[in-house]
Amino acid sequence: MALSAKPIKKSPWVFHVNTGACNNCDIEIVDLLTPRFDVERFGIKLVGSPRHADALLVTGVVTAQAAPRLREVYRQTAKPCVVFAIGACACGTGIFHTGYHVVGPVDKIIKEIDPNAIIAYVPGCPPKPEAIISGVVKALSIL
Amino acid sequence: MTSEMQILFWILLFPGFVFTAGLGLFASWLVRKVSALVQYRVGPPVLQPLRDIRKLLSKEVLIPEQANKWVFIGAPLVGLAGVLLLSTLLGVSAFWPREIFVGDIIVAIYLMVLPSLALILGSSASASPHAAVGTAREMKLVMGYELPLVLAFIVVIIKSGGALGLSAIAEHTPVASISGAVAFFVSLLCIHAKIGYVPFDMAEAETELGSGVLMEYSGGLLALWNLTSAMMLVALPMFLVQVFLGGFGTTPAGIATGLLKYVGVLVLIILIKNTNPRVRIDQAMRFFWIWCGLALVAAIALATVGNIYGIGWL
Amino acid sequence: MDRAQLIESLAQIKNELIKVEKTTDSRFYLVCESQNACKIGNFIFKTLGCRFVIATAIDSFHYYEVLYHFSHDQTGTVLTVKAMIRDRENPSVESLGQFIPGAQWIEREMHDLMGIEFRNHPDMRRLILADDWPQGVYPLRKKPKNEKVN
Repeated sequence: MALSAKPIKKSPWVFHVNTGACNNCDIEIVDLLTPRFDVERFGIKLVGSPRHADALLVTGVVTAQAAPRLREVYRQTAKPCVVFAIGACACGTGIFHTGYHVVGPVDKIIKEIDPNAIIAYVPGCPPKPEAIISGVVKALSIL
Repeated sequence: MTSEMQILFWILLFPGFVFTAGLGLFASWLVRKVSALVQYRVGPPVLQPLRDIRKLLSKEVLIPEQANKWVFIGAPLVGLAGVLLLSTLLGVSAFWPREIFVGDIIVAIYLMVLPSLALILGSSASASPHAAVGTAREMKLVMGYELPLVLAFIVVIIKSGGALGLSAIAEHTPVASISGAVAFFVSLLCIHAKIGYVPFDMAEAETELGSGVLMEYSGGLLALWNLTSAMMLVALPMFLVQVFLGGFGTTPAGIATGLLKYVGVLVLIILIKNTNPRVRIDQAMRFFWIWCGLALVAAIALATVGNIYGIGWL
Repeated sequence: MDRAQLIESLAQIKNELIKVEKTTDSRFYLVCESQNACKIGNFIFKTLGCRFVIATAIDSFHYYEVLYHFSHDQTGTVLTVKAMIRDRENPSVESLGQFIPGAQWIEREMHDLMGIEFRNHPDMRRLILADDWPQGVYPLRKKPKNEKVN
């Protein structure tokens, strides 16, 4: 079985990880998965286990408490997989840059265990569901 | 054709693996598309289930360290084999009625248990607390609906005068009578629970258990489970069509009406799926044992009375 | 009892209070020294029958303050016990959590983030900081202006 990421293009199953967010991005992600935006036409489906997932939607600046959990979830996701950093905090810690509990943005934590990880960034505070769809579709089209 | 080649043809091509898997993937797309239309949205394209399987086959297979490896890998294969044999049996009894043996309905009832049993075994070999809760629920659910299912088939056997062959039963239409209609409706709900659709999907309850029974499966093994699920969407409604609704004829008109009956059963399943919330496991068991059980006991009594006195509509 | 009777009954503990501040019609701050805070809190909870709401810890540069907020639901009055902790090296106050179970978690949180010791707390464990956070580092204490963060 080749580990090329091409079959994910048409059928990305997503799993949502919150690493210490203020919950705005999580609300927008939950909005995204409602019938109004209909992401099932892209083949996107919300799954309950990281082992079934192809795309991790990670929100939140990674706190010291959440960093080992994020690493564990990434390790348990079946490769090949894509990590989407949703929101300004996940892309680059946002306004919580000098917080005492902030360990780093998402890509810093993921690259510690997998330097070749595929990471896509969807900035916004929070990004609108349309922006998240646009980011996911654009990222998948260049896989 | 020699009989070995004919058996291979039956199992692999028609009505076996290729036909059932193809029709099953189409049926699972139909379920998703109609559910989407009911929710006023567009839904996935036709090839989506095939793309899902293809993507799953290209991912790595993760096996938990403490899992029982042989049972973990063998369970989806057993489930697939059960559904495959069931659909082969049904197809052969419909289109080649002289090649089949008397009593195949009993074999079919046994084969129908295999996928559920495989799910229980596979998830209990997963070494995960989520899967353990899902296993407990699935076991209780199977205990719940197996009894009404068997009682419903006893009604059918009584109504068709004690015939035990599927092709002989298919000559009658038991649903056109009170006891037959009750038995049809109850067995429709049991089939619904066996496939694992709402309102009986508490074993794989996504919002509560994070994927429940299938929590630790990934890659090719998950593809096998999805394929089994899709094939059950063909085998089980076909079984209902054969046993309750008069089956398939061998003429083109008979095949067309048979297909219409199959689509009708599928539409009923989609309607039930889209209009109901998930129930708790104790509510489900109470429903199957008390309500369905009592209704079927009454149906058996009516059917026996109708058989003795020759009243057809009982 | 109505609000006027409530305030009059505070006279029973007036030896322990430094003063009573009224900021709005329904908000009263009972300022006291740290050694009397527990007794006053008990009085308001048990004798006056108020409901414990939450507690706050403040690092004012010259002293620490621990505020316990109580609500008198019948009149909508909020009584706040403001304990002044003058000892900045080892801030410590008697725990209210041993009498009011609802105060235990907020005292654990104040200890984690501010380093205030609550004497006789029934269950002082880490609550809110990460599992591998070093002991003795209290993040919400005020730092001098030029000191580097993180």
